[in-house]
Amino acid sequence: MEKRIVLDLDLCCGCRSCEAACKAAFKGEARIRHGELQGIAYLPLACRHCKEALCMTACPVAAIIRDEKTGLVIRSSFLCIGCKSCAFACPFGVIDAPLVRHISQKCSLCSDRAEGPRCVSACSSGALQLLTDKKIEKHEVGVRFVSRNPFFRRRQ
Amino acid sequence: MKIIDPETKSVIKTICPFCSFGCEFGVVFDDFGVKGVEYLSDGNTGGRLCPRGSAAGVFLNHPRRLTVPVKSGRAVDWVRIKQELKDILAKPDKVAVCFDRNITEEEHQAILGFCKGAGISHIASTYFEPERFFKVFIKRRKPVGLDQIDRAQQIVVLGDPFNQAPMISKTLINWKLSDRKNRLVVIDSINTHTAGFATDFLKVRAGTEPLLLLGLAREKSGDIDLAGTTGIESSIIDEVSQSFKSAENGLIIVSLAFGHTYDPVLFTEALIRFSKFSGKPVMPLFEFIGFPGNEHFGAVYNLIKKRKIKYLINFGELFPYYYPQVLKGVKGLNVCATSTLKFDGIDGLPAVLNLEKEGTIITTFGPAKLSGEIKPASGTMDVKALLDMMGGVTKKVSGINEPELKIDLKERIGAVVEKSTKKTRGYLLLGEKIAFNFMGFFETPQLKINPVDGEELKVRTGDRVYVQSKNGLAEVVVKLSIDVPCGVVSIPAETPDVRELFDFEIHQELVNFEPTEVKIWKKE
Ligand code: SF4
Ligand code: SF4
Ligand code: SF4
Ligand code: SF4
Repeated sequence: MEKRIVLDLDLCCGCRSCEAACKAAFKGEARIRHGELQGIAYLPLACRHCKEALCMTACPVAAIIRDEKTGLVIRSSFLCIGCKSCAFACPFGVIDAPLVRHISQKCSLCSDRAEGPRCVSACSSGALQLLTDKKIEKHEVGVRFVSRNPFFRRRQ
Repeated sequence: MKIIDPETKSVIKTICPFCSFGCEFGVVFDDFGVKGVEYLSDGNTGGRLCPRGSAAGVFLNHPRRLTVPVKSGRAVDWVRIKQELKDILAKPDKVAVCFDRNITEEEHQAILGFCKGAGISHIASTYFEPERFFKVFIKRRKPVGLDQIDRAQQIVVLGDPFNQAPMISKTLINWKLSDRKNRLVVIDSINTHTAGFATDFLKVRAGTEPLLLLGLAREKSGDIDLAGTTGIESSIIDEVSQSFKSAENGLIIVSLAFGHTYDPVLFTEALIRFSKFSGKPVMPLFEFIGFPGNEHFGAVYNLIKKRKIKYLINFGELFPYYYPQVLKGVKGLNVCATSTLKFDGIDGLPAVLNLEKEGTIITTFGPAKLSGEIKPASGTMDVKALLDMMGGVTKKVSGINEPELKIDLKERIGAVVEKSTKKTRGYLLLGEKIAFNFMGFFETPQLKINPVDGEELKVRTGDRVYVQSKNGLAEVVVKLSIDVPCGVVSIPAETPDVRELFDFEIHQELVNFEPTEVKIWKKE
């Protein structure tokens, strides 16, 4: 796979535009979830389209497969039986447990859109980016975190 | 015969009318109608949109979109509506015409012209959101651009723009991270994402923001201890005030939520004073700024109570649906209002969304044009078509002025001090305006409760609770959060049932919603 979604936590303002973009495009599915770091920060959870995708391994009906051409880990809405195995298997908590229209909510990296992921385009602060694996290695993420949150931050 | 091809797509470029940022985006159509929105990388925000913008596609096609006139829960035909409106207009002295949001500059003008022609003299705005007072900042000087942020050394932010107007976040966060010396002061009564980025967070007692602003502007009010009431030490107020004043470049960014502060009028007045004192401009962020009438709604309300006004025609989408408590106490008033959405058991005429119109809207950065290329949902009628249907002659009007306000500062300060120091037995409910909760499209509203209060109420995150005020009852989902102090709970005020909870006050003819005492109990 060429590119992955990366979150620069320093920039994320917690607006959930990413989630709204996904929900609006996929009729209520939030394929990007969010978590919260103990009230310190909001944490969008985007699918990594892992090299060893545990969601894919866990799926009992092989509804989640790797698209050979693009390298994406995709779920067939036709085959999915809504057993939630993928939701429990994903080590990053990306797949939300509640089902929408009886199937799991799995990111397709907006493969239907030539310009790429909607969540990345919508992101109001530029915190979500679509980067190549090479760039990700060099990308310093979270290093400016000390600038965040006065309740937990030590005075510099 | 046209062959339907699901692969055919077209994108109409337009501007988002849901707040004052005016982001450009595309609406995608296929042969079946609206498909969604497109994020345009060549748009004025580089394609970035807040949740409201993303919801544009959802809104255009919403299952609750009102497309037929409804009376007592039933669809009625336009012929009957037309006759009813004609009957109403035969008694113009008993009629008030009002408007809230979702109308364009041109439509506002048309309404005024129509009223003049029809001899209707009670015209008022029914847009009661607190940000309507920010008009003064737009009227007074050239709108402040985003470049003002880059130039600043210090910025004071009131409220939670990262959640209310997220599009400001990129510029503001980059500014903050670009230089360690850049100072961001955030003022609010609850912890917010915006506060999470602050250099200094001044967490005031709920609803007392206007008092802190007066303190920052070095205003005194008799023997009232402004600092003491806000809960912020006076030495901190002095330091922030001095430091901001002496900064070469600075900016005050302000966004205010429904039911979040005790007195939006005093808030705005205090803001003006703080801006003058510090010599720094104000950048107001608002969803909509409201149009003027020739009266304030309070005057109309008094006439309704005296049964002198019997009919109210409202153009827009908020009134009365989103302010149900305002009309609860009055009897004998017939309301004929347009709406974009259907509400259970409530009458309404199907309105066109601004998004589907051609016209001008006002943004933080000046006037902007709506494309008019998106066809209105079938069955809806825009303001001009409705006015035409009502008949009558339209007369030219050059403008309209709302009566000037004379603010008795001392009295208003006294009222805020009294309210904020009053002992409450229940919880104090604050409103939030979170873009993600726009019209309740994406999520059921979540009530933030402090974990300590949660223990007392025996509730956990995800539980359903009832919230009751003297105005109404709502069922909401709990989110335990340390963002709110003990005794205070907060909720996105986006849906009618939640908004109904809030107390309002009519003071000097202005309708204002305020933090409200509520009871909470778990739904078994
Ligand atoms: S859902 Fe989880 S496990 Fe599956 S590809 Fe995405 S990140 Fe990996
Ligand atoms: S890439 Fe597309 S499908 Fe995946 S989370 Fe983002 S918007 Fe949703
Ligand atoms: S849209 Fe961007 S800034 Fe907003 S929550 Fe998502 S990642 Fe964070
Ligand atoms: S910031 Fe305002 S104009 Fe931009 S997408 Fe959101 S609501 Fe629309």
